[in-house]
Order: sequence, then structure tokens, then C-alpha cells
Amino acid sequence: MRIDQTHRKWIWGSVIGLIVATAVYIPYDRLTMGGAHGGTVLGIIYGSVGFAFMIFAGLLSLRKKKPVWRMGRTSTWMRGHIWLGLIAYPLILFHAGFSFGKGTLTLWMMILFTIVIVSGIIGAIFQHYMPRMMTQQVPMETIYAEIPRIRGQLLDEADTKVAEVTGVSMSQSAMAAANSQTGGVIVTLVQMEDEVRNELTEFYDKELRPYLEQDGAHGCAIADRSISAESFRNLKTLLPDVVHPVVNDLESICEEKRELDHQTRMHRVLHGWLFVHIPLSLALLVMGAIHAIVALQY
Amino acid sequence: MTPVKEITLTIDGRQVTVPAGTTIFDAARMNGIPIPTLCHQQNETPVGVCRVCVVDVGSRVYTAACIREAENNMVVKTNTDPVQASRKTLVELLMSDHPAPCARQQHSGDCELETMAKNFAISTPRFAKRLTPSHQKDESSLSIMVDHSACILCDRCIRGCSEIRNNFVIARQGKGYAAAISFDTDDPMGSSSCVSCGECMVSCPTGALTNKHVVGQELGLAGGTSVEAQELLALPVFKGVSGTFLELNKGAVVKRHFKKGEIICREGDYGSTAFYVLEGKVDIFINSPRAHVDTEGSEQGFLSKLASKLKPRKEHQREEENTQRKYIHIDAPVDLEYDHPVAQLQAGDLFGEMTCMSFYPRSATVRAAEDTVCLEMLRNVLDVLQKNKTFRAKLEQNYRTRALETHLKSVPIFASLTQDFIDRLRDRVELQRFTPGQVICRQGDPADSFYLVRIGFIKVSEHHPGGELVLSYLARGNYFGEIGLLSAEGLRTATCTALDHVEVVKILGEDFREMLERFPDVRASLQAVAQERTDENRARIHNLQNVPVDDFLRQGLMDAQSLLVLDLDRCTRCDQCVKACADAHDGITRLIRDGLRFDNFLVATSCRQCRDPLCMVGCPVGSIRRRNSLEVIIEDWCVGCGLCANNCPYGNINLHEFPAPQGSVGVKATVRKATSCNLCYDHPEPSCVYACPHDAAHRVNPPEFFGEMLSGKKVEPVPFSMAPGMMDRR
Repeated sequence: MRIDQTHRKWIWGSVIGLIVATAVYIPYDRLTMGGAHGGTVLGIIYGSVGFAFMIFAGLLSLRKKKPVWRMGRTSTWMRGHIWLGLIAYPLILFHAGFSFGKGTLTLWMMILFTIVIVSGIIGAIFQHYMPRMMTQQVPMETIYAEIPRIRGQLLDEADTKVAEVTGVSMSQSAMAAANSQTGGVIVTLVQMEDEVRNELTEFYDKELRPYLEQDGAHGCAIADRSISAESFRNLKTLLPDVVHPVVNDLESICEEKRELDHQTRMHRVLHGWLFVHIPLSLALLVMGAIHAIVALQY
Repeated sequence: MTPVKEITLTIDGRQVTVPAGTTIFDAARMNGIPIPTLCHQQNETPVGVCRVCVVDVGSRVYTAACIREAENNMVVKTNTDPVQASRKTLVELLMSDHPAPCARQQHSGDCELETMAKNFAISTPRFAKRLTPSHQKDESSLSIMVDHSACILCDRCIRGCSEIRNNFVIARQGKGYAAAISFDTDDPMGSSSCVSCGECMVSCPTGALTNKHVVGQELGLAGGTSVEAQELLALPVFKGVSGTFLELNKGAVVKRHFKKGEIICREGDYGSTAFYVLEGKVDIFINSPRAHVDTEGSEQGFLSKLASKLKPRKEHQREEENTQRKYIHIDAPVDLEYDHPVAQLQAGDLFGEMTCMSFYPRSATVRAAEDTVCLEMLRNVLDVLQKNKTFRAKLEQNYRTRALETHLKSVPIFASLTQDFIDRLRDRVELQRFTPGQVICRQGDPADSFYLVRIGFIKVSEHHPGGELVLSYLARGNYFGEIGLLSAEGLRTATCTALDHVEVVKILGEDFREMLERFPDVRASLQAVAQERTDENRARIHNLQNVPVDDFLRQGLMDAQSLLVLDLDRCTRCDQCVKACADAHDGITRLIRDGLRFDNFLVATSCRQCRDPLCMVGCPVGSIRRRNSLEVIIEDWCVGCGLCANNCPYGNINLHEFPAPQGSVGVKATVRKATSCNLCYDHPEPSCVYACPHDAAHRVNPPEFFGEMLSGKKVEPVPFSMAPGMMDRR
């Protein structure tokens, strides 16, 4: 999502709405005994409009649940969600006379509302910038849900490559992968000194394989691009030239895994804020409804 | 009676007496002296082209024994060392270009040339092989394979065809190294007037002309009985078919007995045979439940009803075709009614032609309605039958009397034709067959006929300075030729080429014009269709001419008419598009958010609505088709054979198992159907685009979109409704 010229109407509408609300609020606050508060007619109007905007903003998730229903384009709902949700905050402040809550319920509501608004703004910023970053930084991007499967494929491919030159099968899956490629027999293609072979095996077993195996890069130095480049360079100096293409392949596999990790991290950031925003929004709506019933009843 | 004059000569030291006029070859043969030969056969006029039969008669040069008449007191030496050396050199020269072992040698080990070479102890010829063969193999005939490289130009096939069979199809053409046998005016054998009698194969001494049976076509006998050539020739439909051919193809026809209720073949199955009903009747029908494409379910309960109100379907259909499908076209002489897809075939009917000739999946299930006897045959036999006048006459008669009417009425614009006019057409239409690649009508030629497609697929293309542009593919139930007939110039505007074995119903221009005069509504409909097709063709050529060609366009994107493009700078990877697609189509998504990336745009894996929709070619029931607008849709009578999915070069058609609708009798618990993006034709806008919260998903017209991108302009995806092809209908 990009907040661009397509949002212009909504931005202007929100600014004008805010100016009007502020213009009304200033004399209302000055002329009202004890200042503006929620119990006055204007206060209730501010509260009702603000709460209505909050409800509309909250309906976006329901709208997304029924994407085929022809109730207006979801992008329109999204713009409404952003700008009406944003303007709801000053309206609620006008409703409360800038009091941050006189009772426990209202205090918590204001705290939640602030968190919801802040998380929403952060989310909007993330969604504005991060898609482009992801496009640029993850050229081999894949479908997020496919990442574990692709990681497994990379691991199998690396196992097979290593087995081809060392003759040592790394795992059952590697054995199966190698078998499928070599027709049932693992063939050592390269004659190497045991010591040299051990260097490759040790690097693979201790550095590369654990990194390829796990989700993320916890404790793996090779996850760092410069360290990785250095490690592979060192490995090439130790190994005969004929093995270098395999080392290059392993380095490419490592790079792809790094990209997958990067995509995972970015995806989590891009969508992680929703774990705060959505539940707190729901809680806020429920509390807002309780507050409205209680306030109007008494 | 005049006594025959006799002469006496000496052959290899033996004095022999033979009638005057006898050739040396015959004189030797009659007296048990063998002279080797390649070009000569007893039942053909000798021509003396191979020169292997040379003998020494004491003259300056050796003479060919097969053509030289014996003379009184002549002394002939057939087996001296110089004669043998001369023969050996000739054979060695022939072997230098011969693809040993040739097809005949591989199969039966009786290639006369290779046998002779073995006798002369020639293993590797001393002479260099020619670098490039002058002719490629001709495999166009279904029964005979022509390997020009194995031909020694002995002319035995030519004489067999002309002298023995009087068919006059084969002749020689070219000079020197370019010399070869040819069929008619150098046509491929399959497209020539060859009737596949098999005489040329029998005559050929090498593997130049071999029966395709050699390469392994044989029908299993399981549940059937082999039919002898004599028995087949006794059947009226085989009258005139070459007995030699039937002998050579023994096993390619099997007689099968089916008990009442027994299934003969099932829709969707792959096969390679056709069936001719000898006795009895069969029911032909589509068994697959028609569901899961029209995704509107029945709504029950208040909330569901409310939801249905928010899910407008029919009332929001984009304006396009206003005709309802009434018939399903299948691979049989009859079409099936959409509402009741069952018909009956009887003795004398042939079904499974497209499966047999072009290996398409079976289009319908056939069940014996009573105890039935069928001849099941392979394509080489069917091909010969199709060329046989008796059989063709029988089939055409069946078509005229039983199928023409339903065929015409199955085309919506002809629904209003009256019975008397159809009766008039019955005797005047002509059924024409075309082999793959054969041009039916050529752009620029005078338009003299109108065509209905009966069998097979036709490519409609237009030539322009940039090359050939495929405008459309036509299958059974489609028609062509109306634009040329309706235009003032009266010329063909496109070239129509048979993609596989095609049969069309040709309606002559005068009948077509009378139809237009008598039926103004038919004229109006045809004119509207012609105008629409002309406009679409112009738009396509305009798009093609205005877009630069670049590497990435070779990915096939320029052929697409509508691409689902995701702007990755806007897309938050929330997968709302995928969810919307699944939601719109019974929970099965028809798009994958992955694919080619160009700059910041991702071309999602979803139907591209190609201009050249290869997916349509071969659908046995015509369920994948283009509407009168942009969308390629799969109709609900899909039999799940998967051919369209295999044909799609971009992997955008998938097969899914769906639970069979309740109440379906005699079908499996699940049915397989092909699914592909239909642009949500029952909505004003595709659901994936409509549901994207970030305005990242767009259906774009690629020539415009990528054309601007390549020219360096800023790209803003146009709204879906503005895409060409849709624009003029909204």
C-alpha cells in the first residue's frame, strides 16, 4: 500500500473535517461551564461520530472476510479505515475535552486507543515503505507460506552437492536426493586428500548445514554476508579447482537461504504490527460500546 | 495362330532357346540362371535404371539384362569377375547413401539392397555419404512412411501405382541428387490423392516405403476377434479397399461384441481407435456431472440469502454473448442437447474419429443400447476407409440424413432456418476433409463458400508485414467464411488452416446468399458477427504493430490479452487476491501469487486470455472456449481429461477433484474438472482486483502496459474496464 495521490480526496476530507471539528470545538470549549466534556450535546455528537468512525474502521476486517461481496472496493474501505480511523482520535479527544479518562474504563480506553492509533500509523508507514524494500532487497522472493518447503529443497540440494564430492551422505533425505540423481549409487566424483575432504565436510556439517536447516539465523555466523563470503573464499583456497563449482553452488544456496530469512523477517515486520493493532482495536470497540451504553443510560 | 519364332543363345556356356522378344533376364531366369536385380519385377515393365543386372554380351559396354532383348546366337556372360565387380561397385554406390539398416531391414530383414550388399561382402562403402539429404522423411500418410534417403529411385513404386493399380499418384521429380519420387504435384503423401492401397510398399525393394504397421501399431485382441482381410472385404463398407493393405495391417481392425449395457468407451479416456457400428445400437452421452464452474450455490437461511444478495452473479454479467448454449459438440455424427446430453447411434455410424485420427481424449461415454457388434480400428485403417468412396458415401449419407439438421441448429444463429431450406441444403452441402497443415482457404482468394466445422480444429490467421498473426481457433460447432462472402470485395480476409484432421461442411456461395435473402435475422446475426470479428482482428493487429518487441516479451506476454499484474511496490503480500479468487470459485483459487517479475511488477500465474489460446485446441467436448468477448472460459460439461492443462504453455490451467453433486447417479464420489481464471465473467470486475486493499492488483492489457514501460513512460495500470476487448462492450 502506498499513501499517494490516490489518497488525496481522503486526506483533504479528513483535514477539512478536522478543521471544522476544531472550529466548533474552540468556542464550545470556551462557552461551556467547566470546559468541554462528554456529557454535553456537542460532546455526545463528537463521541458518536468518533465511535462511528472507529466502527467503520473496524469493519475493514469483516470486509476482508468476504472479498467477493460487492460492497465497494476493498481499497476504498482501506482508505476509509486509515483516514476515518485517524480522524476518530481527535474527535474522541474533543469528546473527552482532552481529558485522558476520568474513570478506569475511559482511562484504559484512551490508552488502548492511543496504542491502536500509534500501531496503525506505524503499520501504515511499514506498508508504505516495506513492499518496495522487499521488492528491491529480495529478488528471489517467494510465497511466504512456501518458505519452509523451499528451505528443505535448498538443504537437500546442498546435501547432494556435498555428497557428490565427498561421498558422504549427510542424511536420509540427502541420501534419497542423491540417489534420485545418481541412479541409486552415490558416486564420489573427485579424488581428494582425506584432510581436504574433512575440511569441506567439517565446514558443511558445522557451519552451512545448521544454517540451512533452521528457520532464521540464530547463532550462525555464516548468516552474515561478509563472514560467509570470507568462509567460502577460504574454503576455495583449500579445495582443488575442480570442486570450486560445487563451492560456488553452495554459496548460492547460502545466499538464497539468506534472502529467505530476510523475506521472513520483513514479512513478520510488515504484518507483525497487526497482532497488536487488531486485538486492541476489537477490545477498544467492545469497551467503547460498553462506555456508550453506560454513559447514555446514566 | 502364328507360330512363335524362337531364338537360340548361349548364357554362361549353356545353350538356351527362348521365344523371340524375350529379354536376357527372362531367358536366364527361365533356364534357372539367376541374375541379380533391384529395379525389375516380373509384373512391371522393365526400365533398366539400377543397372545391377548388367551382363557381358561381348559389346563395348555391359548391358542391362532386364531390358535388352535376347538375340539369336548371342553369347551372354552373367557371372564373370568383371561383371561381378561392376555390380559390386553399383551396389556399393547405392549403399553409400542408404541408411543401413533401413526400416524394412530392421523389421523384416528383407531389404533387397542390404541383402545384396551382404552377398557382395560390402560392409562399409568406400564412397562418401552425401552431406545433406535432399528430402526429409514424409510421415504425413497414416499408413505408409516415406523415407527418401532409403529410396534408390528404382521406380518400382511408380510402376506399381500406375501400371498395376492405375492410380497415377507417384512420379519422379527433380534432377541429379535432387531427384526423388513425389506424390501428385510434390504434395506430402498424406495430402495427396493416394488411396493407401499399399502397392508401392509391396513393390519397394528397400525401406523407402514401409507400412507404418512396421513401427508398432497393433490393436490388442482382448475381448475381440481378429478379422481376416477376406472377411473385411466382404463387408460393403470395405468395398474397394486394397486387400494388400488389409493383409499388411492385419490386427489393425478387431471385431468386438458388446452386451446390452456394456460400456464401449468412456469420456476423458485417451485412446487411438475409432468404432464402426456393424450391428445394434449404442447410447452416446456425457456422464460427468455439470457443476463447479457455474459457482452459484443454493442459498438457505436468512444470512445466506442476505449474502447471496451481496454476491451478484447473473445480473452483473458483463454484456457479451446473449445466446444460450443448447448443444454440446462431441466426436460423433450427432451433437448432444445441453439439457439432455444423450443420443443414439446405429449400424453404419462411426464414432471416435478425432480420438483415432488426432489422439484427442474421448468426448463422450458410449454404451451398448442392445447387443452390439463394432469394428474397432486404428488410424491407418480409418484413414484408408475415409479415402474409400463407398465408405465416404455411406458416412456422408448418414450425415446428410441424420446430422446436418442438428449440426445447423446447434449453431445459434442458424436456429431459425426452416425445414424446407435445411432439406434443400441436405443434397447440396459438401463434406470436405483436410489433413494437418492443409490450407482450407487462403487470404486474398475469392470467397465462394461458407464452412461449418464438423471435426477437428482450424487455425484462422492473417498475414501482415510482421508475420503471421493467429486470430482464432475454431472447433466443431464454429463456422467461417462469412466475412469474405458478406464483403463487397468478395475476398478472403484470413487464411484458415487445418490443425489436425479436419472435416468441414461446405455450403456454396449461392446457397449462402439465398439463405441471407430468405432469413433476414440470419443475415443480421451474421453481419453482426462479421463486424465484431473484423473489429477484433483490427484491434489485435493495431496492438501488435504498436508495441516494441523485446526479450521479455518473448515470454509470451505479448500474446496475452489480459494479465494479472501485481505492483510489488504496493502489494503487502497479504494474499487477499488469492483469498478472493478462492472465495469466488468454490474455495479453489485460480491464481498463484508468483510468476515472472518485470521491474516492480509481478505477472501472477493466472490465465492470460491468450490471443492464440493453445489450450482450446483438442478439447474433445468443446468445453473450453472463448466467449464473444475476451474471456477463455471452461464450460461446466468439462470431462476432466486434462488436455487443456497440458496444452497451456504457462501452467495456468489446473485440474481439481470436486465432490460430485448430490443425486448424481453412476458417477464417482468426486469429479475432475479443469479450472482456470475466467476473469470472473459474472462480475463487473475480477474478484482478485476488486478485493485488493492496496490497489496493487490490476488486470492489464500487456501491449499497452509493457509498451509504455519499454518506451520509458511512467506506467499506471489502466482500470480493468478500460482493457481493450472489454471496452467496447461496457
